[in-house]
Parts: sequence; C-alpha cells; structure tokens
Amino acid sequence: MFSTEPIFSIGILEVHGNTLTTWFLMIALTILCLYLTRGLSVMPTTKRQVALELAVEKLLHFLTPFMGKRELAEQYFPVIGSFFFIILAGNYSGLLPGAGRVAGFQAPTGTLSYCIGLALFSMIYAEYSGFKRKGIHYLKHVVSPNPVMLPMNLMELGIKPLSLSLRLFGNIYGEEILVAGIFSLFPAVVPVPFMFLSMFFGLIQAAVFTILSATYVASAVGAE
Amino acid sequence: MNINMVLAICAALIITLAAPVTAWAQGKAAGKAFDAMARQPQISNDLRALLVLSLAFMEALCIFGLLIAFMLLSKIA
Repeated sequence: MFSTEPIFSIGILEVHGNTLTTWFLMIALTILCLYLTRGLSVMPTTKRQVALELAVEKLLHFLTPFMGKRELAEQYFPVIGSFFFIILAGNYSGLLPGAGRVAGFQAPTGTLSYCIGLALFSMIYAEYSGFKRKGIHYLKHVVSPNPVMLPMNLMELGIKPLSLSLRLFGNIYGEEILVAGIFSLFPAVVPVPFMFLSMFFGLIQAAVFTILSATYVASAVGAE
Repeated sequence: MNINMVLAICAALIITLAAPVTAWAQGKAAGKAFDAMARQPQISNDLRALLVLSLAFMEALCIFGLLIAFMLLSKIA
C-alpha cells in the first residue's frame, strides 16, 4: 500500500521514505530546540523560557514515579525525554497531508525497522546505564533474586525489545491501515474522527514507550 | 479447502478471539479505576495516568494479534 522502493542509495545502504522523514524530523526538532534555548536566564523573563521550563518540569514530574527518585529522573532525562519527543513527532508526522503519498514522506514509526532500532537502543542504553553505575557486578542481575530465574531473565533480554518495538509499530501501522481503509471508502469527512483517534493513540504510545524505557533503566540502575 | 480459505478464516478468527477478551479486561480495569476515583477524588490524576498505562499494555496484546492477521492477509494469493 505504501511504496517501498528506496529513494536513493548511499553506497550499499538504501534510503527509504521513513529515513528521509526521520532526518527531516531530527533537523526540525534541533532547530526548535535551538530556538527555544536561546538567551536563557536564571530568572525567566521571556514567555518562551517559561513555556520550556513548564514542559520540562511536567515531563520530569511525570517520569519521577517510574524511576523512583527525582535525581535519577534528572540524570537520565536527556535520553528518555528525547525518546518521548522523537516518537511523538514520528507518530504525528503520519497525519500531515501527503504522508504516504508523496515519495519520501512516511511516518517513521509506521515501519518495523525504525521501531526495532528504537527498542534496541532503549535496551542497550538500559544495560549501559547498569554497567556504568555498578561496574561488572551488574552481571549479577541475571541470577537475582534467585538462580532459578536465570532462563526468565535471559529470555527477558530478548522479549523486552521485541514487545517494545511491536507495540509501537503495531499501533501506528494499524492506525495507518485503518485510516487508509476508511479513506478508500469515504474520501470526505468520515476519516476525521479516526485521525483524532490516531492522534490520541500516538500520544499514548509515545508515553508508554518512554515509561517502559524509564522503568528498564531504573530497574537496571536501582535495586542495589 | 485450499490454502487461501484457511488463511482468510484464520485471519478473521484471530481478531474474533482477541478483541472480546481485551475489551473485557480493559473494561474491568477501567471500572475499578472509576470506583477508586469516586472513592478518593483527590488522587484521580495519578489514577488516570496509571489507567491509561494499563490500557495501553492490554491494547498492545490485541495489536500483536492484529499484526499476525495482517501478515496472514498479505499471504493470500
């Protein structure tokens, strides 16, 4: 239904529509962040800075119960907050006019490879945080709390990225198929409630991915 | 009884079996959350966040079935 030919190739790597959209989203978010963080002062004087501090504070307050303590949330906030914003931007980019029709513009989270990449990075970041915090003793977590749990803990190393990626991919791709199907039946006003549903679920799935990444990092770092 | 019939019936059966169970479980979770919110309205913000998180988990399991159904549908010649 959506074109899967590569747009161009760099050497042996093919660049598809979702990669182009990801680059575009990265550039857009970077420019937005650079604009928002220009001329910060300790006591906020501009409305821009107040809005930015409000957004960061709300996200930190939202993540703190899942990570345990506020200091942990602040320490790992750069990566976990970035997960939230890039996934949110990726989910909403599928709702813009032209997504999926114009060659080179496709919602990145609607493709399985992008979601697997995100989930693998989240898993690797959790393990890396565990190693950085505890050194080599982090390896003991596969036999905690009881050596009987060894197969379960090893299976979780594979199950966690799989479920994380498939949850995100399934929700966004399913919404795309649903809206495309409804659109082929009723090209007029009827797809609009389903696109609102898609917006709602896009926000929910970005939040769930962030919460789960925060939980994995917290369980790798904490429990000493 | 060729393979296309079997694929189509299986793809329909996945959702027929997965959706009611998911709906029942999500309804039970939402009902308990609403009971707790009615009992203690001051914590309803925390309860709302936890409710949405739990609903997303249960929804994900149904979506796994939907993905399998899509994969089966794409194999119909």
